[in-house]
Amino acid sequence: MKRGSILIPHVVPKPSYGISALVGLGVFALYVATLAPTTAMWDASEYITAAYTLGIPHPPGNPLFVLLGRVASLLPFGSVAERVNLLAAFCSALSAALWYLVTERVLASWSPLRWTRIVAAVTAAVLSASVFTVWNQSVVNEKVYTVSLAFFAVVSWLTVLWCDDPDGPFADKLLVIITYLIGLGYTNHPAGLLVGPAVTLAVIIRRPRTIFRWKLVVAGAFAFALGLTPFAVEPIRAAWHPTMNEGEPTGCTEKIGFSCTFSKTTASRLMDNINRVQYGKPDLAERQAPFSAQVGMWWLYFKWQWLRDAHGAQPTVQTLLAIGFFMLGVLGGFTHWKYERASFWFFGPLVVTVTLALVYYMNFKYGASQSPELAGVAREVRDRDYFYLWSYSTWSVWAALGLATLWRQIAARSGEMNSRFWLTSAPVLLIGIIPLVGNWRDASRAKETATREWAHDLLNSVEPYGVLVTLGDNDTFPLWYAQEVEGVRPDVTVAVTSLLNTDWYPRGLLHRKIPAYDVAKGPAIYRGLNAALPTKPLFSLTSAQLDSVPEYVSAQTPQLFKTGDLRAIIDPRRLEYGVITRGDLMVLQLLKDNIGVRPMYIARTSGSYVQALGLEKYALVQGLANKIEPTEIVATKDTLAAGGTGHIDVVRTRALWSAYGAPPAMIRRGDWVDRPSVGIPLIYVGTAMMLGEVAEQRGEMKEAERMRRQGVDLAEGTRTLEYFTPSAPPPPRIQSGDGRLQRSVPVSP
Amino acid sequence: MRTLLLVPARRAPILRAVAATALALGYADLIRGGITVGPVLVVIGYAVLVPAVILTWP
Repeated sequence: MKRGSILIPHVVPKPSYGISALVGLGVFALYVATLAPTTAMWDASEYITAAYTLGIPHPPGNPLFVLLGRVASLLPFGSVAERVNLLAAFCSALSAALWYLVTERVLASWSPLRWTRIVAAVTAAVLSASVFTVWNQSVVNEKVYTVSLAFFAVVSWLTVLWCDDPDGPFADKLLVIITYLIGLGYTNHPAGLLVGPAVTLAVIIRRPRTIFRWKLVVAGAFAFALGLTPFAVEPIRAAWHPTMNEGEPTGCTEKIGFSCTFSKTTASRLMDNINRVQYGKPDLAERQAPFSAQVGMWWLYFKWQWLRDAHGAQPTVQTLLAIGFFMLGVLGGFTHWKYERASFWFFGPLVVTVTLALVYYMNFKYGASQSPELAGVAREVRDRDYFYLWSYSTWSVWAALGLATLWRQIAARSGEMNSRFWLTSAPVLLIGIIPLVGNWRDASRAKETATREWAHDLLNSVEPYGVLVTLGDNDTFPLWYAQEVEGVRPDVTVAVTSLLNTDWYPRGLLHRKIPAYDVAKGPAIYRGLNAALPTKPLFSLTSAQLDSVPEYVSAQTPQLFKTGDLRAIIDPRRLEYGVITRGDLMVLQLLKDNIGVRPMYIARTSGSYVQALGLEKYALVQGLANKIEPTEIVATKDTLAAGGTGHIDVVRTRALWSAYGAPPAMIRRGDWVDRPSVGIPLIYVGTAMMLGEVAEQRGEMKEAERMRRQGVDLAEGTRTLEYFTPSAPPPPRIQSGDGRLQRSVPVSP
Repeated sequence: MRTLLLVPARRAPILRAVAATALALGYADLIRGGITVGPVLVVIGYAVLVPAVILTWP
């Protein structure tokens, strides 16, 4: 049995590829049954849009994902969003099938009965597929991490095969393919490299002389470099200036060319994109939160995996399950070490890399939902459980091995290990389906259409050819999706403040072509407006002048902003960074160049931004946006003061409200699981309440009651009533995604 | 392994040529602004043909 210090079975059983494929199909069916029919909050819209338009999403640009997503978007069925969501489902189902193979192989010398190994391996596949974050990320393409997970699983299986026969005829080729896939995986996301240390350690421990075979090392290095070549797609596509061209990694200003592509500018911008310079993460020695708190964040999300319990209804059960599955994982790790030492030296370091090492490397602030009692600590803008997707996925494999070990112990109590005793003790494996049952409601995204409707509603709140200033991910990416993928209101120019801080984004806005407004497709209320297609560019400045706008103005005292009849006192202390940033200056420039020419709006998701810019006298609520008028607004019967936020256009807002699609979609879903984005339903609840108040002021008591009832129904449907009680928690923030350039301004419900 | 890939050894050079052609044509289409044929060829090249070439390398 022993070869050196490593346990090797006499005969390695043939992998059950057929059963593995069936398991993958079953998991795929689960994901299809719970698949989102359209887009979702956060980055889902960005990635779906990038895939469909072959654009460039936020750094590092994820060129491999964009290529795969583009191919998926060409599938001949479903909506574009569904097709790209299916890519996520496929990748995770593939991962589950491969975890089946890994588990079955690990258990080769654990039981002589093949069917027991198969059942245990199926348990691992089901468990790994149904832990919350994996499941939730597999039913909508919110991130690129499911593709990364597939790369992890493929590399893991190939490494296990290599460990079985490191001197075999195909061993070197397996290593070359592994290095190629690690390079290729890096072009999907830097996480692709995370598997590298574990592979290296496995090679060094299993066959140390391998690293001295220079021809193999050169072949591996060449394969790795070949795997990196999809990065070339970024400057190629950037030079075509697609609508989504984040980081603009090209030196070509007009059209693609040899000299501008092979230029210092292109190289510098591409490297900045790949290295995510825009986000400026601090040095690892400068911890953004105590390491213990960062491990605590991992543990918080670990607890979610086995029972999400989004509203904290069963905290004790959730904690007990987490402790149980943690212990099972430890037991499974021990079983792995005991029965299959060869692959343990790969898988063990992999688990450590994607858990403790990743926690240290990511260096997160406190989690958005972590320790809410701690006021004043720096927090991530949203829950980052998806960064530990690989950790929870691999841990579930070990947890399944732990379950298998328990099963074996129970079966062995009878004294003899025959099929009958295995069978009678098999119910212990049902523990492995607890996450499948417990997470179904919260992980499923079936029938979730609210984000798509939200995007339509916000765009339709803006008059033809309007400019809409937005804040961050959730009031911007869905709009990009609606415009670029569904063709909804492309006449509206969306300008997001967080990206206005960059140099490339204003340049892109300047070059954006505005299509003619389609009256037939727009809201009925705009049919008499006779809006004309703008002929002037969005900015009066040239690209070079835009580039020269400073990063910030350090004035601490109130500043006067004048344009036409508009006089606004800007108080920098009320702005997020306490100074007027480049993004704020760009918004002011937009106002200066467009007010009175194009309808100018600031999304209501921006919370106090209108007040910080001193524009409340000019702000008129129209649905989900504040229209900024060129002159001070005078109250009339249909234009009423609205509690410190300016005025409300009653007729317009009522007409828009009656056509909004998100409120019924939210009520149908019956919950709003992602609490950091709960500001979106709160905007709707707030609008209904505001319309109720306005109706009461006008003496329309029935209408007031009707609107308030709708507001309460919506609050109940999204489980947000808690924000309207006297002891309400602070309103959640509409926040953008990663990075210091991005804002976080509170929104009033 | 050859059986698995259904590629006899004498066909390996053909496979290499096919992989190189798929990637070259794919990138050429991307450079000329294509967003359909190019991505399909490049994905097939990277995901299927290059691994197959490595496995059949002599």
